[in-house]
Amino acid sequence: MVRVVCNSGTDLVEDAPSTSGKEYLTYFVHRLLEFRRPELESLARTVGCKDEQLQWRAPAGDVDHSPFWYLTLPSEDAAVEISKRMILTKMLVEVWAEGENWDELRAAFEAYPGDRKSPWLRPDLTFRVVVESFGSSLPMDEQLELINRLEFIPFKGTVRLRDPQVRFVLLRCDCGDHGSLIDATVPPRLYFGRLVGSSDRGVIDAYSLKRRRYLGPTSMDTEMAFVMCNHAGVRRGSLVLDPYAGTGSILVAAAHSGAKVMGADIDIKVICAGKVGKRGECLTVYSNFEQYGLPAPVDLIRMDAHRHPIRPDLTAIFHAIIGDPPYGVRAGGRKSGLPLAEVAQRSPIRDRDTYIPSTQPYTLGECLRDLLDLSARLLVVGGRLVYFLPATPETYDEAEIPQHPALKLVANSEQILTSRYSRRLITMEKVRPYDAAAAAAYYAARPDPTMAIDRLHDIVYDHLPVVSAAAATTAAVAGADCGGDAPLSVKPRRRCRGKNF
Amino acid sequence: MKLLTHNMLSCHIKGVKNGYPFLIEVIKVSEHEADFDPDFLKHIFPRINWPAFLQAAEAMGCREGLPEAPTETALEDEQFQKAFHHALLEVTLEEGSLVCPETSRKFPVAKGIPNMLLNEDEC
Repeated sequence: MVRVVCNSGTDLVEDAPSTSGKEYLTYFVHRLLEFRRPELESLARTVGCKDEQLQWRAPAGDVDHSPFWYLTLPSEDAAVEISKRMILTKMLVEVWAEGENWDELRAAFEAYPGDRKSPWLRPDLTFRVVVESFGSSLPMDEQLELINRLEFIPFKGTVRLRDPQVRFVLLRCDCGDHGSLIDATVPPRLYFGRLVGSSDRGVIDAYSLKRRRYLGPTSMDTEMAFVMCNHAGVRRGSLVLDPYAGTGSILVAAAHSGAKVMGADIDIKVICAGKVGKRGECLTVYSNFEQYGLPAPVDLIRMDAHRHPIRPDLTAIFHAIIGDPPYGVRAGGRKSGLPLAEVAQRSPIRDRDTYIPSTQPYTLGECLRDLLDLSARLLVVGGRLVYFLPATPETYDEAEIPQHPALKLVANSEQILTSRYSRRLITMEKVRPYDAAAAAAYYAARPDPTMAIDRLHDIVYDHLPVVSAAAATTAAVAGADCGGDAPLSVKPRRRCRGKNF
Repeated sequence: MKLLTHNMLSCHIKGVKNGYPFLIEVIKVSEHEADFDPDFLKHIFPRINWPAFLQAAEAMGCREGLPEAPTETALEDEQFQKAFHHALLEVTLEEGSLVCPETSRKFPVAKGIPNMLLNEDEC
């Protein structure tokens, strides 16, 4: 676990052994709040830092969701490497001074050791000052005004806006009195420091789904696909599997980081047949890789993650398994075989070459059990499984998060979608070699994989019978008037899009 | 389908005991250049079932340069690395079938994608 210290409990700080290394201010994007710190922790690990070398320090005011946290990293090189990949952190800053107002900022600046400042203020270095404001927008003239107030800083170099050798940052947090959408719990503050690295959020636009050639209804949003790959520790040379590849959005993000990728899906239409594009061309998952000039996936396989064809003695081959399991809101899960009730009525298969195999519904609990066991086997030790778990306030229970004897839960980050529905990005790490007997024993002790969320459909629609009853009454009245088949005309209106409703 | 994938797959029809390795029925083979990464090869090599790999390479016509029983030290040899990389990641079965050695059930490979889904009486 990465240590977290807060400001209010001063004892805590003194207790903590001083971590060698350097502390940086992490200025986060103010979205996906629970994803931000795990992303940086995962990236730190990806660039070679150990968990015990990292330490979080809470921001001023100890507001947990504040975008201004501090992270101690072993070296500036690590910070630079992390910043090349980070998506939910705008910048890493070596803070020289901070305070509630300009006087405090100035005093802090003067107190900051001169030998740490002077190498960056030399006359032969070009520089610029970046101004960022949290909680309120800053027009250009106000930005200039703020820069002018930095007159107490002895800048000696030449200003250069494009590609300067040193970037300084002035961060202003000002959430009060503006009717701002962001709650005012993050206290006002000024920060000044040296920019060590800033994120390249340009990749989100470069890979925007709006311009992607082959898409499906559940293609993973670009920003999230990159965040998932960061949580999974994907790096150059990794072998990555998405067992529910669909149109390949997650694989595209992994390939961007230099991974070799493989995808599987039970739906042959999505991965093989594709779509016909505007110019009559055939669009498939491969088209997306071509569009971005990325190396094509090693392979795509049509298979069922439940009855899968991976040879039983294969283990520890993938560095990351990343997926968005089917959970039945827009695309329900399917697995091979017929539902028990239909087995008796099945007629024998006459022509095996053209026969379309049957599939049956697949509950989320069963699907995740298969996913965890497959990951526990196929991941290298230290490799990660990252997947989305749907949740609703009525059904979510932390104790229900699927577990496996070979996997350790690393992060659980909630993304709120609507007031009734959210999804949680679950990150697990393989901590010991796969032991089939231990896994079998673990599952034998928990025979039923069904989760509360598998009842979601009933929960959402359990008030429908009431509507139907009312409709039936109306229908009965109508029926009494005109007789015959009136009930058909008063069917309750469909209130959800999607083929499954 | 690349030979890396072939090496990972076995016939999963219920009751099948000797479903590995799949025989390959070739209709069309193609080659696509892949990034050469010796570290990746070092990671993959110990996980490869070598007799199955050789058998498949033979069927796909890329057996050349692949020794009968290489050891880990062979991985230092650039000639071997190149041959292994080529057979593992570049030679692709575009059209054909994977044939179960026990039941002779054919799993079709179309547009390079193997269809490993079972019919309901097989699972």
